[in-house]
Amino acid sequence: MPHSVDSPSSAPATASRRVFLKQLAAASGSLPLGQALAGGTAAALLLQAPDAAAATTKAPVINTVYGYESFGPDEAAFVESMLNIMCPADAHTPNGVDCGLAIYIDRQLAGSFGQGARRYAAGPFLQGAVQCGPQLPLTPQQYFKTGIAEADRAAQRLHGQLFDALSPEQGNAFLQQLAAGQIQGEQLDLGEWFNSLVYPLFCEACYADPLYGGNVGMVFWKMIGYPGLPATHALDVVNYLGKPYPGRATPKSIADFS
Amino acid sequence: MKQRASKTVVIVGGGLTAGLIARQLTAKGCEVLVLERGGDHSKGPESSLPNQRDELRWAVRQGLIQDWSRETYTLRHQHNQTALPVRWMESFLPGQGLGGAGNHWNGHLWRWAEYDPQLRSHYERRYGKQAIPADMPLQDWGVTYAEMEPYHDLFEKLFGVSGQAGNIDGKKLPGGNPFEAPRSGPYPQAPLHVLESGLVFKQACDKLGYHAFPQAAANSSGAYTNPDGQKLGQCQYCGHCERFICEANAKGSPQVLLYPMLRQRKSFEVRLNTQVLGLRYDAQGKRATAVHCLDLLTGEEYEQPAEVIVLAAFTMSNAQLLLHSKIGTPYDPVSNTGVVGKNFCYQVNTGVDLFFKDKWFNPFLASGSTQILIDDFNNDNFDHTGLGFLGGGTIQAYQFSGRPIKGRRVPDGTPRWGTAWKQANADWYAHSMSLGVEGSCYPHRGNYLSLDPTYRDVYGRPLVRMTFDFRANEQKMAQFVSGKMMEIARHCGADKVGSLQGLVVPFDSRIYQTTHIVGGTIMGETPHDSVVSPHLQHWDAHNLFVVGASVYPHNSGYNPTGPLAALALRLGDDLLRYLQAPGRL
Repeated sequence: MPHSVDSPSSAPATASRRVFLKQLAAASGSLPLGQALAGGTAAALLLQAPDAAAATTKAPVINTVYGYESFGPDEAAFVESMLNIMCPADAHTPNGVDCGLAIYIDRQLAGSFGQGARRYAAGPFLQGAVQCGPQLPLTPQQYFKTGIAEADRAAQRLHGQLFDALSPEQGNAFLQQLAAGQIQGEQLDLGEWFNSLVYPLFCEACYADPLYGGNVGMVFWKMIGYPGLPATHALDVVNYLGKPYPGRATPKSIADFS
Repeated sequence: MKQRASKTVVIVGGGLTAGLIARQLTAKGCEVLVLERGGDHSKGPESSLPNQRDELRWAVRQGLIQDWSRETYTLRHQHNQTALPVRWMESFLPGQGLGGAGNHWNGHLWRWAEYDPQLRSHYERRYGKQAIPADMPLQDWGVTYAEMEPYHDLFEKLFGVSGQAGNIDGKKLPGGNPFEAPRSGPYPQAPLHVLESGLVFKQACDKLGYHAFPQAAANSSGAYTNPDGQKLGQCQYCGHCERFICEANAKGSPQVLLYPMLRQRKSFEVRLNTQVLGLRYDAQGKRATAVHCLDLLTGEEYEQPAEVIVLAAFTMSNAQLLLHSKIGTPYDPVSNTGVVGKNFCYQVNTGVDLFFKDKWFNPFLASGSTQILIDDFNNDNFDHTGLGFLGGGTIQAYQFSGRPIKGRRVPDGTPRWGTAWKQANADWYAHSMSLGVEGSCYPHRGNYLSLDPTYRDVYGRPLVRMTFDFRANEQKMAQFVSGKMMEIARHCGADKVGSLQGLVVPFDSRIYQTTHIVGGTIMGETPHDSVVSPHLQHWDAHNLFVVGASVYPHNSGYNPTGPLAALALRLGDDLLRYLQAPGRL
């Protein structure tokens, strides 16, 4: 099994989110981080947003659910770094963590999806045509975590640092290489891992109903103009034929009707 | 094993065909028992707002689909390979629960071409006997369109179908499909609204001289009461249709139009949560005597005897039950003998995305069947002389949903994440549309179903093994019809035309293509080349009948629901005759 990514043999990741979190935990005596932090999130503090006070007044809706069910600290550090690279804070959305993307993936992996519900799991596990789909004796949660550990060791091998210690540019390039199948795993096909498991979870986290913890404030629905629920459009389909649909700016989610 | 009291007719599978057969039989007071492995969806979150509108739960995590941990299929592309289990199937989606795949279907309804049931004769007549390759076992069905027409008509009325007729009694009607088989009357309801994507497509087709028309659909364009007094609501164009149950009861579905009515009838019984494990077969008497059942709530196993047994499960399960119960001779592609599992066919799909800066398509304003299409390059609606393939496909501008996890389009070259990815999604989500091809898949000697020697389901039975790939005929056809689609795409006036999303070869279980798998228990004129007769009666057991797309000897470029519904209604009437004088129909 993989060695602990907490004890890299060289190049201690002093700048990493993980070390930062540990220091903070030691100082405050608890994780996760609470509302006292500027901007409401650890990420905001980490980035040392120059105008945190202004950010709170304009207050985009951000994730307020803290604490992971599935991830250990190293896994959380990897996933949070990855999601903030794949979804940087920009004119469209807050960063990935603030959008709830990490909470979404954590909860999916902890729940029935991650446990392999409704997925055929009987052996033998033979390798063959990729068109048959993955043939691994792993649940999605185990697969995800095994992949993180391997990817982190690959980052260590290639860059001398764990993934979350890479600069955003380095991290992005690393993810591009992962997606292109250019980073060799030890036992896993890391390209397959990223494309068949990680990337779909990322898209779901962005675009699923906020019920599941991602897409906080329906920020991705607003970004593209998806109006959400309840969608009774028998008249709209005539009235807005070829025209912008006004409801696109104010989507509704399951919570709004529950 | 415990035996329960015998029933007159026992139907395996509680989907569309079972409901239609039961309608015909129970109307005459005939006793019918339907066995369904799943439960009743009608009161759950899948049928209620707001949770019905949950893309993740129903569309992505397949909340209404067969539980693959219990039963899946193995796949190999060639006869000499070792098949592997598909551990999570994406390419096609069998249903589970009362109503079956009739719960989560799109609602497209076709009558196939008038010549489809005589496809071999048709091709031989038009192009000569040499035109059909030796490894393409096309065969006539033994039934004609004219015999099926009254049942098509009945089904369309029962399901309140919305559409524009193109051919009534041989008279061509403007706005409909000029290639349509002759109908005895119009559709019961007006067609669905045409969306912006359909207008763009129709304009391009008009320019090119093609014949665009709206998809006939079981998505109800208005409030509707069918001849049985069952009601459909008006479609709300909510964009949660295929892969979902319609909470507005606006999609013609067995659990809306058939089962509530049947459950009021004294001679009808449905047993939910009942897994059928196999059939008992008397080889000497050539009869199926009983159904081997497992009660999934109590674990009790029992035999359910019956005078007549009908297999009305999904395509794969019909073949599996016959193979596992050792009824009929399994097909062997090497010796080219046997019939069970033969002529397993899928369907050809290709597509292209179009992007328009200034047009609003509002992809979320959609039903499961809002599409405009042409039939000009389907089947043998065009001259195949010199083309080197047989068959074809419809070309359509489809707009079924703007569900954001799976239903976004971005131009070629867009990064897969980051700010540029978000920008492209924001720019194009409401300003893009798609064209698609849905094409025929003719049988190939090497494409078939059999039992896997290694992998088993949760009940200990061998999984069904698919030996399937898209062969040269389908690849050439896909290329040709896709070329026509790209020609239309270039005439739509788009700012950007995406690259062709061609036929994926080898066949890939990881990509949704269509749930239209057919064959395996095919119908035909002789026991030598078919499992069931033209009356869907098993050649080796006269009280055993099989219905569904599993009886199609080929797949056309049309959705399969129309003919299988017509055949099911006809079977109901045939069974009434059979019960009067049991024997060969």
